[in-house]
Amino acid sequence: MTAVALSRSRPVPVLRIEIRRSVVLWAVPLLLGLFYFDSFRTAAGFPPVWTVRSSVITSHMIADFGPFAAGLAAWVASREGRRKTGDLVATTVRPAWARQASALGATLFWLLLAFLAGVAAIYVDTALSATWGGPPLWPVAVGVVELVTFAVIGFTAGALFPGRFTAPLAAIGTFLLAEIGFHGAESVRPGTSTYGLLSPASNVPLGDVGVFYHVAPDLAIAQVMFMGGLTVALLGVLTLAPVVRVSYRGLLAAVSSVGRWLCVAGVALLAAGVAAAATAFSLAGTAKMGVSGWEIPALHGAASDQPIPYTPVCAGTSFKVCVHPAFSGFLSSANTALQPVAAEIAGLPGAPVRAGQVPSGDGILGSQGMNFSGVPKPGLSGAPAVYRFISDDGLAPLWGSSAGVDNAGWRAGFQQELVTAFVAGPPQAGPGPDTFVTQPTAAQQAVITALMIRAGSAAPQFGEDMTNGAPSAGATPAQIAAAAQRFASLSPSARHAWLAANLPALRAGTVTLAQLP
Amino acid sequence: MNIELSEITRRFGRNVAVDGVTLDVGPGVLGLLGPNGAGKTSLLRMLATILPPSSGNLTLLDRDPTKPADRREIRRRLGYLPQHLGYYPSFTVVEFVEYFALLKEVPPHLVPKAVAAAVEKVDLGPKAKAKLRTLSGGMLRRVGIAQAIVNEPQLLLFDEPTAGLDPEQRVAFRALIRDLGQTATVVVSTHLVEDVGAACSEVALMSDGKVVFRGTPEELIARGEAGQGVGDAPLERGYSAILGAARSTS
Repeated sequence: MTAVALSRSRPVPVLRIEIRRSVVLWAVPLLLGLFYFDSFRTAAGFPPVWTVRSSVITSHMIADFGPFAAGLAAWVASREGRRKTGDLVATTVRPAWARQASALGATLFWLLLAFLAGVAAIYVDTALSATWGGPPLWPVAVGVVELVTFAVIGFTAGALFPGRFTAPLAAIGTFLLAEIGFHGAESVRPGTSTYGLLSPASNVPLGDVGVFYHVAPDLAIAQVMFMGGLTVALLGVLTLAPVVRVSYRGLLAAVSSVGRWLCVAGVALLAAGVAAAATAFSLAGTAKMGVSGWEIPALHGAASDQPIPYTPVCAGTSFKVCVHPAFSGFLSSANTALQPVAAEIAGLPGAPVRAGQVPSGDGILGSQGMNFSGVPKPGLSGAPAVYRFISDDGLAPLWGSSAGVDNAGWRAGFQQELVTAFVAGPPQAGPGPDTFVTQPTAAQQAVITALMIRAGSAAPQFGEDMTNGAPSAGATPAQIAAAAQRFASLSPSARHAWLAANLPALRAGTVTLAQLP
Repeated sequence: MNIELSEITRRFGRNVAVDGVTLDVGPGVLGLLGPNGAGKTSLLRMLATILPPSSGNLTLLDRDPTKPADRREIRRRLGYLPQHLGYYPSFTVVEFVEYFALLKEVPPHLVPKAVAAAVEKVDLGPKAKAKLRTLSGGMLRRVGIAQAIVNEPQLLLFDEPTAGLDPEQRVAFRALIRDLGQTATVVVSTHLVEDVGAACSEVALMSDGKVVFRGTPEELIARGEAGQGVGDAPLERGYSAILGAARSTS
């Protein structure tokens, strides 16, 4: 190649050289493979609800990308030490912080590109199947900031301890950090310490999060503030690192050697970062559960608490089954499941004329002592009666659709909930915060079983609770099954007539097995 | 003078690597000779603004390297080839030289021409797009020389530059530094006295951290002829005679 040919090439900034030769490029195929087999497939198994699927960004994608980000960034940052180029670059005009900024920038460029490509894949897949709503951006912001934080943690470790073992140690360390954060977030309950919420990794959310109510951005803001603060503080440490290295000659000499303004910038970054992280930490301590998720009073906007207007989509004629439009893909299954049992009890006192989906929040969290006024409760209520169900119970087939679902089992369970609510009434709160006393009496179990059999489902399974060595329900499962068969073999009109006459007593639990026809 | 050293000392703990060196160097090529551990590399690293002196005054290109602004200007005009060249294996020859041109803040629009000229000067044009990991030790040394000269420095510091070069390349390198010495100050630290004889206009000989001889190669040869020097070449005899004298007085 001649000098003329070389001199015709365009000038290239340092960052572009770093991007072109970044070690992260080698890891991108591995990252994308990991993303597909973990994050993407997990998201595809979730209901096609934007908020639910986007939860994978912080719960799975960060676990996939984070340790690699830290390890790769540490590897890049330790390059001058490992490759023994320290003397060579030390004689150049560009200061260490500027060189490090270019190397970190190139590392982040590829990491974020791969990460955002993954987010785009999840969102495109969701867009193809979602029937309502749009892509939430807060999880993306939290994920990006968290990934940057992981990378900066690794980069700082690599810059301060430039050895060949720093990179694997940084990757392992951040993986453990993420695990600790996950367990911290997982253990957060209303009424307990809420600092664990600063970790964005958490359990799978309720199936209709962000559907009936907005997801309040409070927690996301605190998480971004906390991790952004950590990142800024670490950048301050990186800036001040040369001062620390030469401080054995005295602080003033060290400052003079590094440059006064650089020291001021480093101290300012460190102080600002620590302040932001500390503020976020204290804010997280004030979090409380609300109808729109975790709320932080200092950041909370009342608009988040307002329900999102929607028009339900319905099926059926005399007995209507309605779901939120976000779950319209499930309407047919729900309608097919509920119509037969609804027909069995139609016309009886208290029989539902309609089934509709209600927000999960109160149904799940009510058991933990959380009640939100104005939010409809799941179960059978009203006149004429309406059966209300929540997505996590009633729309179970939407979960894990890629892994295969026991549709017959789900259908029987869904029907059983409706029939149980009709025959046995609402579940009674038990002694503990997480327990319901839902066990119907022996006669109620027999009637529920008979109605299920008549609707074409398998006989439901009831737990066999024992009290002082005897069945709590007052009869053995065999006795209950025999009574159920007897009741199911009645003609529809006879069964209907008996129920019309005896339903109040049956619901009150005063009917015995022997009294069943 | 481009280099002015006054009673420069550098200590590493109790060890004195450079001991009260006073030296003024103008444009031309200065050969820095001395046995292992004489303090050549430490002196070169101080001249390269990597190491600060423990005591004494150092002025480079009429600037004080202890002041950040001055140090920046010195580095803008400095070329340095360390004894052990570190490099990034995934970079190509051009990218590596380009990278250092940019770190030395060569104006971006001049970078392509400067890189091309530097690569051609070390005869690496045909390998310009080769990854550094594919190059031999001698070629890597030439890449190191290219990055050192890419900013057309006024002060060039070479630490063992001809190590690993084949005879043909060594001859070419000597011609290159003679050429560079026309306008810049070039300091070449080496063990190879033939490099000094062929390329240097001046020689400084270090022993135990001190400069024990300063003169022309001819003066060094003359010391060998007059004294008890041993060796196959006249320069080697001068070198060993001065070192022998220095050791006997210390």
